[in-house]
Amino acid sequence: MNTKSNVRGCTGLNRRTFLADVGMGFTGLALGSLLSGDGVARGASSAAWTPPDGNPHFAPKAKSVVWLFMIGGASHMESFDPKPELNKYAGKSIGDTPHKNVLDAPFIKDNLRIVVPDDANGHIRMELYPLQVGYRKHGQSGIEVSDWWPHLCRRIDDLAVVRSMWTTDNNHGAQLQFHTGRHSLDGFFPTIGSWVHYGLGSLNDNLPQFVVLGQPIADCCGGMEGHRANYLGPEHDGIPLAVDPKNPLPFATPGGEVYREEQQAEFELLDRLNRLSAVEYPDDAEMRARIKSYELAFRMQMAVPEVVRLQSESAETQQLYGLDEDVTKPFGRHCLAARRLVESGVRFVQVFHGSNGGAGSWDAHSSLKNNHAKLCAQVDKPIAGLLTDLKQRGMLDETLVVWATEFGRTPGTQNANGRDHHPFGFSVWMAGGGIKGGVAHGSTDEIGFHAVEQRHYVTDIHATVLHQMGLDGRRLEVPGRKRLDIEFGEPIREIIA
Amino acid sequence: MLVRVGLLICWVVASRSARGAEPVDYVRDIKPILSSRCFACHSALRQRSGLRLDAASLLTQGGKRGPAIVPGKSGESLLITAVTGAEGWRMPPEEEGDPLDAEQIALLAAWIDQGAKAPDEPIPSDPRSHWAYQSPERPPIPNVNNRAWVRNPIDAFIAAGHEKHALAPVADAPKHVLLRRVYLDLIGLPPTRAERDAFWQDKSPDAYRRVVERLLASPRYGERWGRHWMDVWRYSDWSGYRDEVRYSQRHIWRWRDWIIESLNDDKGYDRMVVEMLAGDEAAPTDPDTLRATGYLVRSWYKFNRDVWLDQTVEHAAKAFLGLTINCARCHDHKYDPIAQADYYRLRAFFEPHEVRTDRVPGQADVIKDGLPRVVDAKPDTPTYLFIRGNEKMPDKEHPLAPGLPDVLSDGLEIEPVAMPLEAYYPALTPFVLDETRNQADADVTQAVAALTKANEALEKDRSRVAATGADAAKPDPSSDPALTARVHLAEKQLAYAEAKRASLAARVEAERAKYKLRPYGDHAHWAKTAGGLERHATLCGAELSVLQAEQALAKAEAADKPEDAKTKKAVTAATKTLEDARKKLTDALTKTSSEYTRLGPVYPATSTGRRTALARWMTERDNPLTARVAVNHIWMRHIGEPLVAGVDDFGLRAQRPRHAALLDWLAVELIESGWRMKPLHRLILMSNTYRMRSDAGDNHASNRRIDPDNHGLWRMNRRRLEAEVVRDSMVHVAGNLDLAMGGPEIDQNLGQSSLRRSVYFRHAYEKQMKFLELFDAASVNECYRRSASVVPQQALALSNSALSFEQARLLARRIPQSTDAFIAEAFERVLSRSPSAAETAECRRFLTEQEARLTDATQLTSFDGEKSSRVQPAVTPSLRARESLVHVLLNHNDFVTVR
Repeated sequence: MNTKSNVRGCTGLNRRTFLADVGMGFTGLALGSLLSGDGVARGASSAAWTPPDGNPHFAPKAKSVVWLFMIGGASHMESFDPKPELNKYAGKSIGDTPHKNVLDAPFIKDNLRIVVPDDANGHIRMELYPLQVGYRKHGQSGIEVSDWWPHLCRRIDDLAVVRSMWTTDNNHGAQLQFHTGRHSLDGFFPTIGSWVHYGLGSLNDNLPQFVVLGQPIADCCGGMEGHRANYLGPEHDGIPLAVDPKNPLPFATPGGEVYREEQQAEFELLDRLNRLSAVEYPDDAEMRARIKSYELAFRMQMAVPEVVRLQSESAETQQLYGLDEDVTKPFGRHCLAARRLVESGVRFVQVFHGSNGGAGSWDAHSSLKNNHAKLCAQVDKPIAGLLTDLKQRGMLDETLVVWATEFGRTPGTQNANGRDHHPFGFSVWMAGGGIKGGVAHGSTDEIGFHAVEQRHYVTDIHATVLHQMGLDGRRLEVPGRKRLDIEFGEPIREIIA
Repeated sequence: MLVRVGLLICWVVASRSARGAEPVDYVRDIKPILSSRCFACHSALRQRSGLRLDAASLLTQGGKRGPAIVPGKSGESLLITAVTGAEGWRMPPEEEGDPLDAEQIALLAAWIDQGAKAPDEPIPSDPRSHWAYQSPERPPIPNVNNRAWVRNPIDAFIAAGHEKHALAPVADAPKHVLLRRVYLDLIGLPPTRAERDAFWQDKSPDAYRRVVERLLASPRYGERWGRHWMDVWRYSDWSGYRDEVRYSQRHIWRWRDWIIESLNDDKGYDRMVVEMLAGDEAAPTDPDTLRATGYLVRSWYKFNRDVWLDQTVEHAAKAFLGLTINCARCHDHKYDPIAQADYYRLRAFFEPHEVRTDRVPGQADVIKDGLPRVVDAKPDTPTYLFIRGNEKMPDKEHPLAPGLPDVLSDGLEIEPVAMPLEAYYPALTPFVLDETRNQADADVTQAVAALTKANEALEKDRSRVAATGADAAKPDPSSDPALTARVHLAEKQLAYAEAKRASLAARVEAERAKYKLRPYGDHAHWAKTAGGLERHATLCGAELSVLQAEQALAKAEAADKPEDAKTKKAVTAATKTLEDARKKLTDALTKTSSEYTRLGPVYPATSTGRRTALARWMTERDNPLTARVAVNHIWMRHIGEPLVAGVDDFGLRAQRPRHAALLDWLAVELIESGWRMKPLHRLILMSNTYRMRSDAGDNHASNRRIDPDNHGLWRMNRRRLEAEVVRDSMVHVAGNLDLAMGGPEIDQNLGQSSLRRSVYFRHAYEKQMKFLELFDAASVNECYRRSASVVPQQALALSNSALSFEQARLLARRIPQSTDAFIAEAFERVLSRSPSAAETAECRRFLTEQEARLTDATQLTSFDGEKSSRVQPAVTPSLRARESLVHVLLNHNDFVTVR
């Protein structure tokens, strides 16, 4: 794939606005403020477009987002949308059941955009497959959750489950699509994390504002483009971190022979020299990005090792995330690190689970029971722990947690004991950050085939996230980049508290 | 059957009429049916049976079988006959899809009967007329008004574009900017101080031209552009789990060296394509040429032949032809006139090829060194289409011959290539024969020496025993039976070595006779002799094994301790080994076959010639794609943006580019210069287009308004250095780059310590240098175009890496001047320019303050962690401050930017 970064020249941006735009430097060498002395400030040239100023468009409910993404496609029926009719008609062909009308629904033709038409996967499976796990009602809300979520189900009254999601790619390009809102055939676009990063100012100048934890989406399915900013510019890309204080990212320290003060002075000089050069080259957008990248790098090398130092957490907290058990430890570490990042003011933490270098571990074309039982066990306790921890610390109100996957799985069986990809109906949930708890919103039909009530395309999740963060996606437009209506989506008002 | 269908139609039509007899509407009712059920085979893209249904007028026009419809008469319309299956055949064919349902058929019939009315609609154009499928012709050079600006034909094309779009080209780049640009561009290294001075002093109008010529002649050119082509050709060293090779092959670096050498020699691109795809057929006994087939070897994949061939097919098409034929693996191409079968026909060119590693002089063990190359080892393997791309469902009814999509070729002739003996029987290569015989001699010499030594030891011991007056009645006068055993063993070893040597000599004679290599003797005689001697050698070997096993057993028994399970186990194991050895000995004794073993693997004496035919077709003058695709790659790497945006997809989705005429002119120029690249480089570099500034300052508001993205090239594009250039330049400006060329790949983990050029480091799946990866080094699997990100991790890599500190320190120590001269010299060396007054002032202040800071180290805090650099900071605060300054300049945005 061509992954050319698409840094746009700053059309119409003159030298002064450019300089006003570049951060504040290392020691408050505020060329920006110097310039304001001669009466030039951004916004003075009112006709010209300016990038967002970092202030929300309206009062935000949430400060940060933790975005948990299950790679490969988790079954909605065996998680948050159980369907007893599957047990009733197990083994029957859909056409021989009272639910045969699902096959005539217009969604199949209208919504689906197939990339690989004759792939072995991505088909409608006719023979209904019974639920592979039990389920029951939980909490005061009585929302049904499968038994593979024994910890998370206890937090159900904090969750708003959206059971009526749909997407258009029946293959794993849907992973990319879930983050950009566009079908993979359309190409690469800014991801939801990069929009938040682009739209909002920083809460902590020492950390990247958009962090990626866990192995990202594989090359097959969008790769790095699943956390990139594309035309918003590379300074808005998500930055992958390892939860390892010694080596959270490559070249994290200059080595013991260097003094901190010595290096700081170097960075200050570098900043001054780059700014002098920037005056010579006002059109150089990469220069602006590089100046910012050095400012951030300087502070990151101090702050990042600290923020991923999980040892400083109490044993009780570590246990809450399952750090004391092998099964839950890897994802638990990511969830705990996510909380620490959010606590330190990171705006968007994108946590991936289930990378296997290909389509993703959740892609249970066969042996769904073993597969999902195992994977749910890896994430259930850490996610529940994250919600509990955020709540205990009073952070849940302003931290929006999103649990998502690229599509659901077919009501019918594939390979005797698996389920195929299913873009027509699936579930996502959100919690905290001004979202109502204990809500099941929208629904699929009785066999979990189509989203039927309150249908939502993936960008409705994006719009809801932006809305809770105080942003209106339509006001984040970039000149020369025409966006489709479907890219904006609509906030899901019914689940907003 | 017919009757029933007829009735059905009547019923459906009746039921529709009952609903209100509304007329059938072509756009609303008919076109969607045709589009969803018929277009796949009967539209512009694929006109099966010459029939197109993608416009109403084309239905009347019909195909080879005549008109598809007769307006007003559905009963006489072929379309209805076809979809109802009324004459025993049906459309769509059974294997292609379900029949149309009754209502659809009724609608079609009703529409025809109502007169087949349709609004005027455009007839979609024939994909065969796509611009990129037409052979490039040299277009006339445009006449332009701005003649003063035109230095060569490239400028004429660009200027014509300027004038058409009311763009005004910016001024030439300043001398220092141009010099740095052309150095980094051609050799991937900035100019040295001396090179800058020389250019500055050369006042002749030819100064720039001379620089270009010198750089094109520099061996560094091949290294720089070699890396570019390694991106396109997917260079990858071997990788796998521990020592197990899973991808590519060991010693593939020989192909990398071939790339670099070929570019430096200005070998024609056409020849390079032939050598990479079919070097084994073009020059079967030339090891230098055989290296080129590393291009194919690179796709070797241990676990799945289909994945291996898929990669081969996909990337040969993308790299050389700009065709996304991989889209046709499971189904016909969605956009381009490429059928699914075309994908497998292309595969058929590669079906017979396999990978082998030839010996190189001086090394018999091909794991340690060797020449990986391809060979048509399986000439008879058929190629099948995989139904829906599923390798478990080969269509064995229809084996496919090598071929190309109709749109590109009328068919090509494939001539098998007879291989010389050495090529298909590498063990008979003279140096291999010599080394094998020498080794046999050496084995004998060694065995003789061992026996002599063993006898001496025994004699010595006997003398010792005799001298001490041992009991003569003892049967063995020796005190140490181990020494006797050693002699026995050495005797057997010598016997075996001699038998092997004799057997080898006879086998060589037999093979010489068989292949009539002068001088040769009687084949029957030598074959018989060789068979006998080989049997004898086997016997000697078996006897040796038995003796070794017996001695081992005796030793184990002697060491056996009761109650010790470990020693028991050793005895059991030794017993078993002895039994096995005895069995082999019995086998050897009873073997009567007179056949001898060949001297090594023997490959087919004829290569299929398929890959040669493919490569020749690709590099024919008329091939519409090859030269254009190559020119586009070269242009992009000089100018920063390609002429055709999708460098690996020239199919129907690639619109005719803005500079199509220039592309064609350059493509023809490449072909007519004998496909040599250096003339093309020269042309681009000498153009005014290339020499423009990359920035527009505050001027050129109109240009910016009309063409903000510089599609019309009214200025040069600014670029970020590629990963390798960042690293190499850092070492080079400090004067420390090791310019040794070629050889085995260097461990990627040595990237911070070895000072070789980056191109020579291991580059494989999960084995890439981290520093390079952070600066967007090529993805191992495919990289037709690099990205250029700006992220904080790059800042950390440049500012915190041991390499940047070391090089900064070393360079600072090389510049002994006074403060201002030091600053100026550091700027010159690192950024290839002088500092401005403001910059000098900043740096001067920095040096003073940093020195003061470092003077009292007690006030300073060290970073955590170990000292990581081999070159520690200077002790003197003033020098250490200077090192800091150079380090800052290596991190300057201008250092990683080509302006």
